[in-house]
This record gives sequence, structure tokens and C-alpha cells, in this order.
Amino acid sequence: MHTSAVLLRRRVLSGFNNIISMKSWEFFVRLGFACAGLLILTGLYFWFYRVLRYLGTVQIIGPLLPWKLTAMALLITFSMVAISGLVTAMTTLYYSFDLKFLFSSPVPVRGIFFDKTVETAFYSSWTLAAVLVPYVFALGRVMNATPFFCAYFLLLVPFVLLGAAFGIALSMALMYWFPTSRTRDIVWLLSSSALIFVYMMLRFVQPERLVRPGSLEVVANYLQFLSAPTAEYLPSWWVSGGMLAFLHGQYGRFAQYCLLLALSVVVVYGLLVYVSKWVYMKGFSGAQEGMRQNAKGLSPEPFERGLVHRELLSRVEGTLLWKDRKLFMRDVRYWSQGALILAIMAVYLFSIRQLPIEGRDLRSLISFLNIAVAGFVVASIGLRFTFPAVSLEGKSFWLLRSAPVSVGRLLREKLVLWAAPSMLVGGVLVAWSNILLDADFFISALSLVTILVTSLAFCVMGIGLGAVFPKFNVENIHQIESSAGGFIYMACCMGYLAAVLSVEAYPVRVHFLGKFTGGATWNWGWLALCAAAYIALNAAAMLIPWKMGLAVVERYEV
Amino acid sequence: MIQLENLTKRFGGLTAVNNLSLTVPKGEIFGFLGPNGAGKTTTVKILSGLMQPTSGRALVDGIDVAKDPVAAKRITALVPDEPFVYPKLTGSEFLYFIGDLYAVEPAEQKKRIPELLEQFELAQWEGELLESYSHGMRQKLVIAGVLLRRPSVVLLDEPMVGLDPKSARMVKTILTDLARDGATIFMCTHILEIAERLCGRIGIMYDGSMIEAGTVAQLRARASKELAAGIGSRVTLEDIFLDLTAARQCAPL
Repeated sequence: MHTSAVLLRRRVLSGFNNIISMKSWEFFVRLGFACAGLLILTGLYFWFYRVLRYLGTVQIIGPLLPWKLTAMALLITFSMVAISGLVTAMTTLYYSFDLKFLFSSPVPVRGIFFDKTVETAFYSSWTLAAVLVPYVFALGRVMNATPFFCAYFLLLVPFVLLGAAFGIALSMALMYWFPTSRTRDIVWLLSSSALIFVYMMLRFVQPERLVRPGSLEVVANYLQFLSAPTAEYLPSWWVSGGMLAFLHGQYGRFAQYCLLLALSVVVVYGLLVYVSKWVYMKGFSGAQEGMRQNAKGLSPEPFERGLVHRELLSRVEGTLLWKDRKLFMRDVRYWSQGALILAIMAVYLFSIRQLPIEGRDLRSLISFLNIAVAGFVVASIGLRFTFPAVSLEGKSFWLLRSAPVSVGRLLREKLVLWAAPSMLVGGVLVAWSNILLDADFFISALSLVTILVTSLAFCVMGIGLGAVFPKFNVENIHQIESSAGGFIYMACCMGYLAAVLSVEAYPVRVHFLGKFTGGATWNWGWLALCAAAYIALNAAAMLIPWKMGLAVVERYEV
Repeated sequence: MIQLENLTKRFGGLTAVNNLSLTVPKGEIFGFLGPNGAGKTTTVKILSGLMQPTSGRALVDGIDVAKDPVAAKRITALVPDEPFVYPKLTGSEFLYFIGDLYAVEPAEQKKRIPELLEQFELAQWEGELLESYSHGMRQKLVIAGVLLRRPSVVLLDEPMVGLDPKSARMVKTILTDLARDGATIFMCTHILEIAERLCGRIGIMYDGSMIEAGTVAQLRARASKELAAGIGSRVTLEDIFLDLTAARQCAPL
């Protein structure tokens, strides 16, 4: 207990020092982010409220639907916290910077484990728990019980803690039974693949059929499905069941669910801490073993040599490209994320195919608006791959900084590496969507060209802004993505998308008006203005972050 | 050759290097000593282009590091105290990467890299990822990377930390050979025995300023009378170092 208090004290002191050493501009930046976050949560509240209110109005089955949705939402949240717990635990429990220091100190293994478990549980669950807040508020408003529903936030704490415990337990089991790097990588990849499979299955079963009872063969089965508990042995049902029991005045049953949740947290975490004495040390020891590669290295390899030979890249850029490609191919976490991107693309195109839209003109209009959705997907992928590209040089950055390599070359190489995949993802999403939607030629061509330029712009912005906000001393990539810089990158991408759609609105409007009136009447002055605005927008979106990134990295002191 | 002209580096209110002027000619091994926080690593970082000075100039072979960093880095090699390298590259891949980065001819790389791996007893590990290397092995690999490109200025920050005795002796021989071939060696170290045996001249930093510089004999001659009276002709570099720094900090041992 004394050890845990000492370890906790260092966190409190670090947090306190972090606050008091904050400069005024940093304070305002953080305040800005907090306000933006609050705004997003408010938006989510209204959206949840609308959906829940609509479900409540569906005839006959209306009263059942919000509860079914709640149970499913909590189940999904629970599984997401568990996955997040697994990913976070892999880093915090086994690869944190301070672990070697802690393990070399006279601190019991259980003390270290408890300290790291608290950290894991917090980081893996707080964002998902925050998203649940507007949902619970919205549900309370729909059920006319808002003040009472506020009390349920207390239930959400043990709920997310249990979700995180699943991830922590799984990571401990993986590290215990597969302590060496290679086997752990394979298991990691298989686990990720399984999660991707579950994600795809969830989408392919078409949950939208929930509000279309006619789509199920037997209505009785449907009603039975709605009234049955959703995964009743999991904490997600204990929370939704507890809510339902309280609303119906079944206070005894409500107390049972509360007790069940609280006791489960105590038992599960107690067990984890208990077994950690035997399990944790073995896993930590294995985590320090490197992977045996046995690869004979020659750099650069034919791919880069070809680019250098054709004078598309300088020798240094070819070497850097080779290095980044090698590091990418050898990091198994990238593979699973690559597979996840393919899954997202498949689900995306499946959703487009399922859109119930009649009429070619309307489908063409959707195709134009699809630029925004595809752009969002490309920006999100950029947040994972292009934005951290500079920061991922990590502590080895001294090698490049002390080498005769200009910062411009370094950034150009990153752009060469990521531009083609980024444009490929955007291009495939939009081109395939256009085919599925049977969009007309003008919209197809416009949307395809737009997404290709947008993907390139996002790639440039990602690398440029990633260089403006470098984080070389992080324990995992999530700290880069979730940093202030990551938020600014996403905000810039969204602003860019809105501006692009606004600029292109004029030609699209004239195009559709022409379809309805039998011939388009182009105002060439307006068209030229739109073209000039589009060029200026892209020039600004690409040049400003790039130049800023160059200046920051050139001044960066290792 | 290394020239530092009124070099100053400030971090907010803290002056890490204060108006430092120094010339290290070709072929000399210069030892840079001082207590922790004296400004040694900051000086090395400025010389290697990892940091920019607040004022003053740092020149390597006449090239201003701040004004033409790429040209300066082409002839400079750095061995930092913490040899962070790309964990997912193998030992030989890392050396080929360094060779390409510094434009070493491919034929030269193919010839020299196996020799260097053999010399540093890393040949049996050449196909292993660097994440499995020990601190000392990574340090040896970084030093092998320096030898691959034969720089004219070598900056070393605690190069012997983590090296086994055999490797440490080999590195000492290598540094002596490099200096004999005309390279300028600038070495920060806390191991006074190495500085005493290896360095032509020694500079002692304290609180951002160089408080003394010269050969060991010159430093010994300048040692305080109390020290000479107490120890006589057996005055070592350690005695001198402690005498000079303790005079500003605490009582001598």
C-alpha cells in the first residue's frame, strides 16, 4: 500500500508540475481543445437524442428499440474498451520508459503492476467513457428521467474498468505464453485479424434492418430478439439491465446489478494483481528479448535503386526510402493496421452499395457528397500514417540530424513514401463508389480528380504538420495521434474539405440545373473564379504546412 | 580542425555554454572534461549541428556549422553517449544505411562493412535486428559507422560507456590512428584515466566556461600549491580535476 502511494505521488507531482509550468499560450491552446471537445460531445448529444427519439416513435416495437440499441451500444463500447486495453497494456505494462527503473527498485512486482494497470485502465477507457456521457443524457431525456440518469455515470466507471481488465488480462496471457518477439508478433497479428473479422461481420449483418421488421422472415422472432437480453453475462447488459430495472421501479434488481458490477471490479482486479506476481515478471522479461531476423542487408534494394537510377530520387532520398520501407515491413503493428484499412474500405464500399437511393441524378449528387466521406477516411488514415511520419524517427533522429541530409530531403522522402498509397486509397474509394452509384461522367471525373488532389494535399499536410508538432520521445504512436498537433491536422483537413466542396458547389450546381432544364448555362467568369480559388486553396493547404514544418525541424534541437 | 569563437548557448535563463573560444588543430585528440551540467554535451551538440548556438560560431575545417550544416556534417562524425539506432534494422543494414547517407562508394561499402563487423566482433550478429543488441554492441556499431566514412572531425560523447575492456582498448587505438592520419578528435569523457593517456590537450569546463586548458603537464604545473605540497610529483589528472572544480564547489578530497 505504501509503495502504491509512493508511485501515485510521482504521478500527482508530475501532473501538478505539468500544470504549473504551463505557459499562458499553452493554457489557452488546451482550453481551446477542451472547448472543441465539449462542442463535439454536445453535437453527439443532439444526434443521439434525435436517433433515440425517432426509435421511440416506431409503432408497436418503439419502446423496445432504445433499450436494444443501448444494450448493443454498451456491448460495442465494452468490446472497444477491451481492444483499447489490449493495445494500451502492451505498451504501458511491458514497454514503458520507466519500467526498467521500477523493476530495478525495491518495489514489489504487484506494486508495479497495479500502478501500470491503473494507467492502462485510464488511458484505454476515458475517451470511450466520455462518448457515453451524451448518450446517457440523451437516453435520460427521451425516457423523461434525466436527473436520475446522471447517477448512472457511477455505473459506467466499473463498466469501463471491467472492459479494460479484459484487455489487460489478454495482454498478460499473450506475454506469458508467447514471450519472445516473433511468436508475440504472430499472435498480435492473428488477434487483430480476428477483431477486423468481427468488425466486418458486424457491418455485413446489416444492423439497419433493426428498424425494418419486414426484412426478417418471422415477426415473432424479431420481437423475441428485441426483448431478449443482449449478452446477459457481460457487464454491458448489467448496466442497461440496471437502467431498465430502475425505470420500472424494480429497485432490488437494480441494486443487484450495481453490486454485481462493483464486486466484479474488485474480484477481477484483485485476481489480476494476485497472479501478476508470477505472470507479469515473465512477460516483462520476454518483452526485452529482441527479434532474431537473420537478414543479410544490402541497401538500397532494387526498388529504390531503380528510382535513383531513373533520377526520380537522389541517392540519399533512395536510402531514406529504403530505411522507412524496411522499418514499416518489419513492424507487425503496421500490418494489422493495413489489414484494418482494407476492412474499412470493404465496409465503406458495402455501405455505399446498400444505400437505398433511386434515380441516377440523386445517386450522382451522392457521389459528389461522397468526396467528403472518402476525404474523411483518407484524413483519418493520414492521422495514423503520414502525420506521425517525422515523429517516428524517434530517438534515432540524431542520426539524420547529424548527417549531411537537408530537412527538405527528409520530408520529400516521406512524401514519396506516403503519397501513392494515400492517393490509391482515396482513388479506389471514390472510383468504386462512382461505379456502384452509377454516377454520370461529369461527377465521376470531378470527384475522382478532387479526391486524388485531396489525398495528396492531406499527405503534404500530414507530413508538414507532423514536422510542425514533432514528438520524438513518445512510448507509442497513439500519443502522437492524440496530441494537439493531431487534432490540428484533423481540423485543417476538415476545413480543407469544407472549402473544396464549397468551391466546387458552383460547377456541380450548374451541371445539375442543366440536367433539369435541358442544357447547362456556364458563367465562365464564375467558373474561372472557382478554378482560381481551388488552385489557391490547394497551394495554401500544401505550401503553408510544408514550409512551417521545414522551418520547425531545421530549428529543432535534439 | 575545430574552432569555437565566443560560443554561447542559453536555455531560457540558464547559460549552458558561456563565451567559449577554443581551437583544436588537425591530428589532435582533445579531451573535454567537466562535472555534470558543465556544458560539454551542449558544445558537442552544437558542433555536430544538433543544436544552434545563441551567439558565436562553431567551425569544422573552416565551415560554419550553423551556416552550412550539410557541408559541415559531411566531414563530421558523432558518437553520442546514448547510441539510439533504428531497432528494426539489422547490424549490417545499419552500416549500409550510414554508408549511403554519407555517400560512401558501394564498392567501398561492400569491402569495408564485413571488415568492420569482424573488427568489432559483430559479424556473428550482423543479421540480427538492433533491438536485440546490447548498449555496448550498439555503441560499437555506431563507432564502426564512423570508421566506414573516415571523417576529418570526430566528436565523441562518453564513447567508452558500455564497452568491454577489449573493445575499449580497440577504440583507443582507433582514435589514436585516426588522429595520426590527420583527423581532429574532440572527446567528452568522465573517465580521467582515458583522457590522461589518450588526449594531447585537455580542457576543463565548469558552469559553461572553460576554466583550464592545456597538456596534462601544463595542468599539473598550474595545479594549486596546496595540492602540489600535499601530493607532490604523484599529482594525477583526477587530483587536478578535483582541485580545479572543487575550488569552485567544495573542499578538495
